[in-house]
Amino acid sequence: MVFQKKFELISSQKLSEKIFRLGFFAPEIVKNACPGNFVHIRVGDKSSPLLRRAFSIFDLDLKKDCFDILFKVVGPGTEILSRKSTGENLDLLGPLGNGFEIPKGDRSPVLVAGGMGIAPLMSLAFYLVKNQKIKPEKISFLYGERIKGGFVCLEDLKELGIKTLLATEDGSEGFEGMVTELFLRKVKETSFVKDSPIFSCGPHPMMKTMSELSKKHNLFCQLSLESHMPCGLGACWGCVVKTNRDGGEPDYKRICKDGPIFDAREVELD
Amino acid sequence: MVRYSMPGRWSLTDLSVRVGKTTFKNPVLVASGTFGYGEEYSELFDLNQLGGIVTKSITLNPREGNPPPRTCETPSGMLNSIGLANVGVDRFIQEKIPFLNKFNTNIIINVAGSTPEEYLRVVEKLNHAQGIDMLEINISCPNVKEGGMAFGSDPESAHRCTSSIRKVTNYPLMVKLTPNVKDIVEIAQAVEDSGADCISLINTLVGMAIDFRIKKPLLKTVTGGLSGPAIKPVALAMVWKVSQKVKIPVVGIGGITNTQDALEFLLAGASLIQVGTSNFVDPQTSVRIIEGLKDYCEKNEIKRVMEIVGKLEN
Repeated sequence: MVFQKKFELISSQKLSEKIFRLGFFAPEIVKNACPGNFVHIRVGDKSSPLLRRAFSIFDLDLKKDCFDILFKVVGPGTEILSRKSTGENLDLLGPLGNGFEIPKGDRSPVLVAGGMGIAPLMSLAFYLVKNQKIKPEKISFLYGERIKGGFVCLEDLKELGIKTLLATEDGSEGFEGMVTELFLRKVKETSFVKDSPIFSCGPHPMMKTMSELSKKHNLFCQLSLESHMPCGLGACWGCVVKTNRDGGEPDYKRICKDGPIFDAREVELD
Repeated sequence: MVRYSMPGRWSLTDLSVRVGKTTFKNPVLVASGTFGYGEEYSELFDLNQLGGIVTKSITLNPREGNPPPRTCETPSGMLNSIGLANVGVDRFIQEKIPFLNKFNTNIIINVAGSTPEEYLRVVEKLNHAQGIDMLEINISCPNVKEGGMAFGSDPESAHRCTSSIRKVTNYPLMVKLTPNVKDIVEIAQAVEDSGADCISLINTLVGMAIDFRIKKPLLKTVTGGLSGPAIKPVALAMVWKVSQKVKIPVVGIGGITNTQDALEFLLAGASLIQVGTSNFVDPQTSVRIIEGLKDYCEKNEIKRVMEIVGKLEN
């Protein structure tokens, strides 16, 4: 079930210069949401910026009927959103998208986040620990940023008891290099990831690398893809990704409706 | 004066509009390509409220559409280059029409093709389907290599395409025009002469956006179709010009986001309007406009919404 209505902004936190965490009281959305879903937010009532902005659900609190989003200010839409005050009502559409497929059984999930790709993976991490009762020590969380100061949510991960492996491009914290390089190193350690469900979200080049690695090593990896989305509902066919679902002719799927979660082996990213 | 503006209550105003033999319960339709096949929006509001639903373009065979990125935002508007992605007419009839037929609203099927023959084949297949109220003939898509806008770019080909379709179907025809032409009035007149029941305008304007930092266009196809509030003045001018020169009803499309916009199009000469890009911004735009029109008419003691059409004073 999808809802469109005004929901109250109940918390607003500035996590770093450009990264914000907003919380909404939205019982209808919370009751229907699962990890990997997103909401489509109208940031104002002016004609510019015109279209809604899509944000992964970052934290879902079923008891308090609220959820959070996490975002970086990258343009006029997110800039306006970052200046909203608590008590304001915002026009939200959601929950949208297919959500992560959470495999049953006693396997050890591997989560691979790059930059703001942390957002959907945090909601998944909370879900795995709190709802699926997976022991936090069984979860591996790989998290990459450009520099040491870029990381967010490290406290939350620590609180959950999840071991986090960090990577920075400049080597200022953890592994020096891309998080995908760290991931590949781990893939080669046979005890790790072979039969694990893998979940990943990050910038487009990272998603492309994760897709290639998953094909090469035949890994079951789910990617959360990002795109401009005019409608968010599957009506406009504006946010497609090329897929090769049945091994036949390439096929375009809608990121908003058929995704945003895709099997990394089925997408063909440029 | 007593006002009856609560939704669902008896109203003093008659919002219905007649186009030829077709009656629309109100003048507010949703535009092709912005409303899918109706399913996507049915969870969000009661589709029975709409004057009509214009479906996404249907072609003979399924079409994948253009490579991404297919859309980007521009000041007060957006560009798209979807490339007529659709399920093809056979699957459309089997899978999509039964859903649309559940609703008490007019169903208008948008038909597109790469060749004149393709339009005819699609229409012939639709002749055997149930529950279609009208066809909208898309001779104005700017985002395909073959066909589309080409058929609507000069009066002769627009005439040829419309009259050949007129000969093979009894469905009322709405022909959708492109603004990317020298003189839209000439084309509207040619379409009227060839037996169209009404004319819808405008389709998108050819536009382009560039990311200067990487020296690349934002759309994979480089150019696309501009829609949204940015094109409203262009659409209004064209609706006004065309409605002066043709006798058949005109359907106004282009950047309509609220009741005021809808009233402006009616005043300029449109008998019906279509809400397009605004369905993305606020999926409930059309129902808000329907309520707004009812309110406006009641406040101004207008008995029939048709009374406003073409009443621009200058």
